[in-house]
Amino acid sequence: MAVNGPEPRLPRVVRPYVLTGGRTRARGPALALDATVCATASAPTRPLPSAPEASRIVELCIAPISVAELAGRMTLPVGVVRVLVGDLGSLGAVTVTPPTPIGAATDAGLLARLLDGIRAL
Amino acid sequence: MASVLSDRLVGSVAAAPVAMKIVVAGGFAVGKTTLVGAISEIEPLRTEAEMTVESLGVDHPGPVSGAKTGTTVAMDFGRITIDDEMVLYLFGTPGQDRFWFLWDELVRGAVGAVVLVDTRRLQECFAAVDYFEHLGLPFVVAVNLFDGVATHHPREVRDALSVPANVPVVLCDARRRTHVQETLVLLVEAALRRVSGAA
Ligand SMILES: Nc1nc2c(ncn2[C@@H]2O[C@H](COP(=O)(O)OP(=O)(O)O)[C@@H](O)[C@H]2O)c(=O)[nH]1
Ligand SMILES: [Mg+2]
Repeated sequence: MAVNGPEPRLPRVVRPYVLTGGRTRARGPALALDATVCATASAPTRPLPSAPEASRIVELCIAPISVAELAGRMTLPVGVVRVLVGDLGSLGAVTVTPPTPIGAATDAGLLARLLDGIRAL
Repeated sequence: MASVLSDRLVGSVAAAPVAMKIVVAGGFAVGKTTLVGAISEIEPLRTEAEMTVESLGVDHPGPVSGAKTGTTVAMDFGRITIDDEMVLYLFGTPGQDRFWFLWDELVRGAVGAVVLVDTRRLQECFAAVDYFEHLGLPFVVAVNLFDGVATHHPREVRDALSVPANVPVVLCDARRRTHVQETLVLLVEAALRRVSGAA
């Protein structure tokens, strides 16, 4: 068929783990679901991977976003997003902030703030 | 496209917010997605998480030991902005099955959990209740009002589950934002009491 013809093209359908070259593990430490990903303001040190998913992730990360939300918005399994974000991180395109320290969940001040916030909804 | 993107990025180095999280657990079709959607400021997102025993570094004997590719578990994700620097994440998880321990990651650092129960299928929440009790994680039992009427008094549910007195048991129509809000308030209050040594 006319693969290199003009528009319209077939929608791109890829099995999720094809995007990661079959890798199921991210480079570096595993990314928690509640880690925050944020696009870096500076240009990436190396070109982004050509997959549209890569630039879509960077776009979604312009405002800080959790790994879980990123996966939901990309409609990709969390495992795939972890690998892609890991790659983008090593290219300098995004930074990952680890989850809020576990101690926050037992910090009276933070819990009081959370309680006020929920009451005010 | 790339330049548009980098233009938009200029000056956008926002700090990561303090992220608090609450887990919503319960059996199939008990109202988890509904509950998250009733209070989340975004449409609840559905995410597939692949949890592997190996990647969690947990050595669990049992039905999944040796599983290399892991178990795919669907979860709901919702988000609430609390203030300029704090956000609350809601994770809805199917908590009734034998893979519950795979959620160790999700529960780590959580403020607490809402266990949603349908009184017609009370036994479906046993695993979740056991799990949170064992972890010492604050939780509330939210009895979903499927008929819009309370067919069971919360006290009966409390007795049936034999949850300790410091665990609130509350009626909650998962479709109603104010009910969900009140449930979350009770949970965070319970978490606060536990921190301040009052419970
Ligand atoms: N009557 C009634 N129906 C509910 C309530 N909560 C959820 N539902 C309905 O029950 C069905 C299953 O709810 P859902 O949130 O998808 O359950 P989940 O599988 O736990 O995520 C949906 O059709 C909801 O509209 C409730 O409090 N009362
Ligand atoms: Mg659901």
